[in-house]
Amino acid sequence: MEIDRFLQPKASSWMETDSENADIAMSTRIRLARNLSDFKFPYSFSEDEALKVDKAISSVLIDQGRKLNLEFTHIDMQELLPLQREVLIEKHLISPYLVKESHSGAVLLSENEELSIMVNEEDHLRIQSLRAGFHLKETYQVANDLDNLLEQHLSYAFHEKYGYLTSCPTNTGTGMRASVMLHLPALTMSQQIARIIPAISRLGMAVRGIYGEGSEALGNVYQISNQMTLGKSEYEILQDLESMTDQIIQQERRAREAILNNSPVALEDRVYRSLGTLANARLLSTEEAATCLSNVRLGIDLKLIKDIDMSILNELMIFMQPAFLQQYSGSPLQPTERDIARAKLFRERLNKDSVTNKGEDFA
Amino acid sequence: MFCEQCGKRPASVIVKQTVNGNTIERNLCPVCAAESHNLNYAYEQDPMAIHQLLSNWFPNQKTSINPVKKEVAVCSNCGFTFSKFMEIGKFGCATCYDAFEDHLDNIFKRLHNGNYRHEGKIPSAYGGTLKIKKEIEELRKQMQVSIAGEDFEEAAKLRDEVRALTLQLEGGGADGN
Repeated sequence: MEIDRFLQPKASSWMETDSENADIAMSTRIRLARNLSDFKFPYSFSEDEALKVDKAISSVLIDQGRKLNLEFTHIDMQELLPLQREVLIEKHLISPYLVKESHSGAVLLSENEELSIMVNEEDHLRIQSLRAGFHLKETYQVANDLDNLLEQHLSYAFHEKYGYLTSCPTNTGTGMRASVMLHLPALTMSQQIARIIPAISRLGMAVRGIYGEGSEALGNVYQISNQMTLGKSEYEILQDLESMTDQIIQQERRAREAILNNSPVALEDRVYRSLGTLANARLLSTEEAATCLSNVRLGIDLKLIKDIDMSILNELMIFMQPAFLQQYSGSPLQPTERDIARAKLFRERLNKDSVTNKGEDFA
Repeated sequence: MFCEQCGKRPASVIVKQTVNGNTIERNLCPVCAAESHNLNYAYEQDPMAIHQLLSNWFPNQKTSINPVKKEVAVCSNCGFTFSKFMEIGKFGCATCYDAFEDHLDNIFKRLHNGNYRHEGKIPSAYGGTLKIKKEIEELRKQMQVSIAGEDFEEAAKLRDEVRALTLQLEGGGADGN
């Protein structure tokens, strides 16, 4: 099946990371919500309309995508096994909402997985562009180019005063949600994050844990995004988000320096204990793995750990999730079995490298 | 509830600790929570859905609909009533925006920091010249930012784009659909 390659335990290109600030700003995402003017929105349309919408959007995307040198694979949600859907969610290629809906829905993925277009999620069309690191404008450009191409062949629901019309009034206007995924261990440890979050929300932006809305920040990874879609142009929204993110990154750097200066041994101890846990544990829960991953990541950023490649951690962050573990092991797993499989995955990946030398020192 | 550790201050933080695969949850005050090492701080917070927000902000909407006329806004296209929109917090179709327009400015103002007008992108199908004018406006704004940031190379690039668009506008905007 063609979709198999999207389910492989292999990092998407947006998970690779090399650029400036990529140590803290792990990835950037832009989402554009659009609806077709000739059909009712997904909250009220019929299955028949859902199918027509899927057909209209998919055929244009597959045809026109070639103009931008993009090859899209169409994946029908109803043809996927539940586990396969979960894998796509864990890879952030689709939203949990897309699979919850009873009507026809689909996702079209570009080969490098940097573009994912959801059909019949909350809106007819959700163009999503993903990139590693902190690149708001470039990521927007990719989504916008595709949007420009689509609007020539699809008639969008657009209102002179309210802009792009969406199902949810929180998206009306630009229909754009821009977000940056941030690893903020020092701001979390020093509890400064609790003061930053409410301040940001007063400025029309939101900060939340990456694992869905309202959830706690697992592994100290937060997502900052714009909440306003009316009253500002896309460019202004991106500009505001960029400067806010820049400030948070600087705060995080300052907090890291302070911890490193004030309690270097305690920090190093925490980092290496976490590495020890990940490399040796026999049972590893998601929470513990996420916490340890965050500490090890911090250790690499601060050059306390020099012999582990960050890309391994990025991969592990994705692969340690329940559906991936089961896909990887080829069978459904009970929670305890998952913890065993997770621990095994970490041992295998981390001990493949020079980490093993460390163990021998203590032998 | 008081803090499990000191028993003096009120507990406001849930501290989760995972040891050998077992997760222990403790209700602590911020002071004791800060003293604990290797702990994961998790603040209890209810995710608030958009429809809850809407009904909390406009608690009297249903009753404030003119009782004399008994008029309830209904969308002629999808059949959504205004109360249905308030209840689920979602529009049923594009026509809903026209059907509920009287209430929308206020709702958008609440959701978008006082804003209710779209200032962003316009699809080219909606008037070529309007689109170009807006684009020029936008490029000028970007140019100001570039100049302020002393990025003159970028500013010059933007100036050229503005020039090209202005020419297009004067040429009748035929290319812009």
